Amino acid sequence: MRSTPASPPDALRRRLLRGLATAILGVGLLGLSLPALADGPWQRLDAARSVLGDTPPHTEGLVLDLPLVSEDGSAVALTVGFEGRLAEGDYIERIDLFASDNPSPEIASFHLTPMSGKPEISTRVRLNETQRVIAIATSRQGEQFATAREVRVTVSGCLMRGDDAPPEPLSNARVSVPSRFTAGQPEEVRTLINHPMETGLREGANGETLPRHIVERFRVSLNGETAFEAELHQSISANPYLRFHLSPEAGGEAVFEWRDDRGESARHEASFELG
Amino acid sequence: MSQQHNHSGLTRRQLMKALGAASLLPLAGGVGSFAIGGQHAGRVVVVGGGFGGATAAKYLKRANPAIEVTLVEPAETFYTCPFSNLYLGGLRGLDKIAHGYDELRDRYGVRVVHAMAEDVDAEAHRVTLSSGESLDYDRLVLSPGIDIRWNALEGYDEAAARKAPHAWKAGPQTELLRGQLEAMEDGGTVVMVAPENPFRCPPGPYERASLIAHYLSQHKPRSKVLILDAKDNFSKQGLFTAGWERLYGDRIEWVGLSNDGRVTRVDADRLEVETEFGTRHQADVLNVIPPQKAGWIADRAGVTDDSGWVPVKPETFESQRVEDIYVVGDASVAAPMPKSGFCANAQAKVVAAAIAASLESRPAPDAYWSNTCYSLIGPEYGISVAGVYRIQDGHIAEVEGAGGLSPADAPDSTRALEAQYAVGWYNAICQDTWGTTPGTA
Repeated sequence: MRSTPASPPDALRRRLLRGLATAILGVGLLGLSLPALADGPWQRLDAARSVLGDTPPHTEGLVLDLPLVSEDGSAVALTVGFEGRLAEGDYIERIDLFASDNPSPEIASFHLTPMSGKPEISTRVRLNETQRVIAIATSRQGEQFATAREVRVTVSGCLMRGDDAPPEPLSNARVSVPSRFTAGQPEEVRTLINHPMETGLREGANGETLPRHIVERFRVSLNGETAFEAELHQSISANPYLRFHLSPEAGGEAVFEWRDDRGESARHEASFELG
Repeated sequence: MSQQHNHSGLTRRQLMKALGAASLLPLAGGVGSFAIGGQHAGRVVVVGGGFGGATAAKYLKRANPAIEVTLVEPAETFYTCPFSNLYLGGLRGLDKIAHGYDELRDRYGVRVVHAMAEDVDAEAHRVTLSSGESLDYDRLVLSPGIDIRWNALEGYDEAAARKAPHAWKAGPQTELLRGQLEAMEDGGTVVMVAPENPFRCPPGPYERASLIAHYLSQHKPRSKVLILDAKDNFSKQGLFTAGWERLYGDRIEWVGLSNDGRVTRVDADRLEVETEFGTRHQADVLNVIPPQKAGWIADRAGVTDDSGWVPVKPETFESQRVEDIYVVGDASVAAPMPKSGFCANAQAKVVAAAIAASLESRPAPDAYWSNTCYSLIGPEYGISVAGVYRIQDGHIAEVEGAGGLSPADAPDSTRALEAQYAVGWYNAICQDTWGTTPGTA
């Protein structure tokens, strides 16, 4: 496992540096030590607190990229990436995402392994109003990192949703994965599957609440071994999209599996070489 | 900062230095070319002569003719993005979306300078122009519209735009795209690439697809339009989809984000695009509407944020970052107001009132705005969405129950009326902005 990730995108790096500068400035102005700043919005959200340990999380190292203003709360693009430092041999094992003011704040939990390569994940989330998005990363050895971003959600005056039929659940599984990896070099993988991700909170045409129906688990295995796993909740947008990284240790076969809360599943296989 | 100055700029600065009152208002004795010997009630420079800028200049003069207003706009003729899709569909000439600055100059006494604003020194309150002239201001209005984020979409740079036009700034790009449509053989596919939010004119790509389909149905009946979209939802989607079905059958195909509609690479030489999950689409005519940002002078002025757009104080549209700079139109972050010409016009009036008030040390009047987006699906098939906006909890918010949308089920006669209203709207807003109504054909 690489404790220092491969070169992050410039924008993320700049944001991180700016964040650090702000944090340092904050320390200077308030005369506080860094851990005291850890009393962030994650401490005020039960769901987030439940994944935090006793030691306050580090407030630097984890970067959330979201638009400041979103004109369509049904699909807000989100990227979370870890760019901090970890002890030799340690790696980010889990990243949790929360939406502070959604009816159900959990967005997703991602489980990473050394084969996940680089802890940087993108997805699209539902935000039903202006609120904070919170990310918490936990390392194998128990180090925790937290960050939050405020997103203002407005519905553009020109926007009107089409009333197309909802997508066929678990149809059109799409995967973009390199056919060739280089040892030790994480590569980007993207997946998309059609699914209504019905929240269980919405009324249908006849006024009855539509039952919850979501993809709740996504798993990638490399040669039979789990490399990346995601627990998804209602706050993930319809047609769940995931972008993450893989760094296989040998050539072979990758299996991508989606499972929804009705026990249905979809599967996609791809073979790859290690160069 | 350029060391070249024209005579009047130099004199004014020397005068101000002599007075030792560069930042005091009102400043007596402006010696610009048209205020010789007179009094002015403050100097306002307006950058950009589109819907936002031209309206701001005019309404500043209407608010107080003693304000010295200079409008900086490189082009002598301004082509509007609204109704440029009618030109693409062969429904009106380019001269019928062209506007000039005679009224501003002759009737309202705005000094119109045809040059490019190249730099803003916010500290010194000075704008430098491509002509070498520099203009001192008490208040600056930026209405720079959009710039393309070149290479934000892989392969789409300025050279690519000469082969696969964006035509998202009306003028030569629009002519290029029209020429390509005319030259395309029957049976060809027009591929349109639509961006994610936010971007200029949210219904624009879909109106364009409609009017291109209209042109094809008349002249190239075996041809079609494919829209590859980086979004799953778009403006007036239900109305567009129904209109397309009604008028064009399967001539228009729309592929949204969740069906691999997001284009991630453009090969302009081969007129080919590739989507996120590796589908390649071959075009005969390729129209890429790329990711955008505020016009670059906003960057020079230091008013943009990480998003590339300009956060403003909603009450006045003054920059949140730099004092005395006001930003209107597409460049500003005004959501839920869309990036439309109508909004730019409405915001400019709020800015003009706010500046006129601040120059007299009065508080700005309460702000509110309205907007209507008309879209033509065919020459006699119009749809619209209207909104009214006020400030709520410190943010712009749509007033519930005001405004509205064309009915989903309506007879053709309603759509035909809305198409006429669209033309009426265009004539009225151009009259309000530039004082010109270029006719209809």
